[in-house]
Amino acid sequence: HRDCDKLNLFYSAPNLEDQNSVAAPESLLPYGEREWKGNTSKSRLIKKGYEAVAQRSYESLRRVRGDNYCALRATLFQILSQSEKLPAWLQDTDMSQSELDLLKQWRFPVDHKNEGGAVEQLECCLKRLRKRWQEAVQCASPEEKEHICQQVFVGQNEEYELLEALKFLMLRTAVQLHSDMEKGSQVPEFCWLLFARDTSKCPRSFFTNHLRHVGFSGGLEQVEMFLLGYSLQQTIQVYRLYKTDTEEFITYYPDDHKKNWPYLNLITEDDRHYNVLVSKQLSSKFSKSVRPIWKIPSGGHTQERHITQL
Amino acid sequence: MSFIPGQPVTAVVQRIEILKLREGDNLILGFSIGGGIDQDPAQNPFSEDKTDKGIYVTRVSKGGPADVAGLMMGDKIMQVNGWDMTMVTHDQARKRLTKKSEDVVRLLVTRKSLQDAVRQSMMPR
Repeated sequence: HRDCDKLNLFYSAPNLEDQNSVAAPESLLPYGEREWKGNTSKSRLIKKGYEAVAQRSYESLRRVRGDNYCALRATLFQILSQSEKLPAWLQDTDMSQSELDLLKQWRFPVDHKNEGGAVEQLECCLKRLRKRWQEAVQCASPEEKEHICQQVFVGQNEEYELLEALKFLMLRTAVQLHSDMEKGSQVPEFCWLLFARDTSKCPRSFFTNHLRHVGFSGGLEQVEMFLLGYSLQQTIQVYRLYKTDTEEFITYYPDDHKKNWPYLNLITEDDRHYNVLVSKQLSSKFSKSVRPIWKIPSGGHTQERHITQL
Repeated sequence: MSFIPGQPVTAVVQRIEILKLREGDNLILGFSIGGGIDQDPAQNPFSEDKTDKGIYVTRVSKGGPADVAGLMMGDKIMQVNGWDMTMVTHDQARKRLTKKSEDVVRLLVTRKSLQDAVRQSMMPR
């Protein structure tokens, strides 16, 4: 991928003192106490939320850099640190004509002339995502996965390339779902909401008015969280603390594939800023699965592969 | 399969037709596979030849579609609906078996017939 490196897509984060985009784990309850010192009803509610989450076998959270990419960043972090399997769709990096038309307007987080290279850049981003995801999945231990995360989440080019790749996947999925809707095929409910907004009646306007700005002037709306989960074929499980004591305390993006799409856990106090949620079993020692494992020898570094259940 | 002089190995070729079972959004086959050209064949407990990178059945769910169709653990999958499975990666194998547009998969498998092998090895020379 030397060509991708040469393109030098984005400049590095100006804030050097805070290089890690995802912080080390912090225990939930002390964190809640520190952040919400007052005694307002709001702070009591949020702290109650942290207690409720702690009771459900989650030990800590990891703070995510608080810019407009945070939902994507938190999701990407969980993918690299927890994903066990590469989704099949990730193999397809070809772009359709309708995608190519839209992509010319893509904005990258840097102030330089694109010179019509948006498509090329996005292809690079997608390839990088696939490469990193594959690396992460093939790790033999959580420690190795953590090592990859330490390499990625340092506010440099690669992190932003991967985040832009996630946005591209959302666009691709939106195009597909919209096309299904037009044909009268069954689509998940959130699609109706996604395209019901005046500002996003179709993939083009969705892209121009919403997706294009994610990371810059806006984050992800709830309906876009559904799209994100759907695009990645992951169930993004979010604990929403301002909804403590209501049935929206835990929300699944999306909620119709809970049985077959892997879970990624996030936590938010307000649906604006997302942090990574770490479960107790990950914090404790890694216990090897009892399934038989066939190892691939490759230059001295063995990797594990599971047996596939069909 | 490797040939060891004095010990003939018999293999039985079986045609197995599996009717996939629909469970919600998924089509279940009820068995697991191991192997592939991108895998290490030395770890395969079922193969005669430890350089054999073919696709093997590692587990069959009791009462599931594959079980009902007669698939057995240790079977080597040679073809799926006509597609060769002797020179595929693990993931290619998975894909060929799990096409959503197909309700039925017709497998061609070889099965080492242990009884025959034991019987033959006990025959007087």
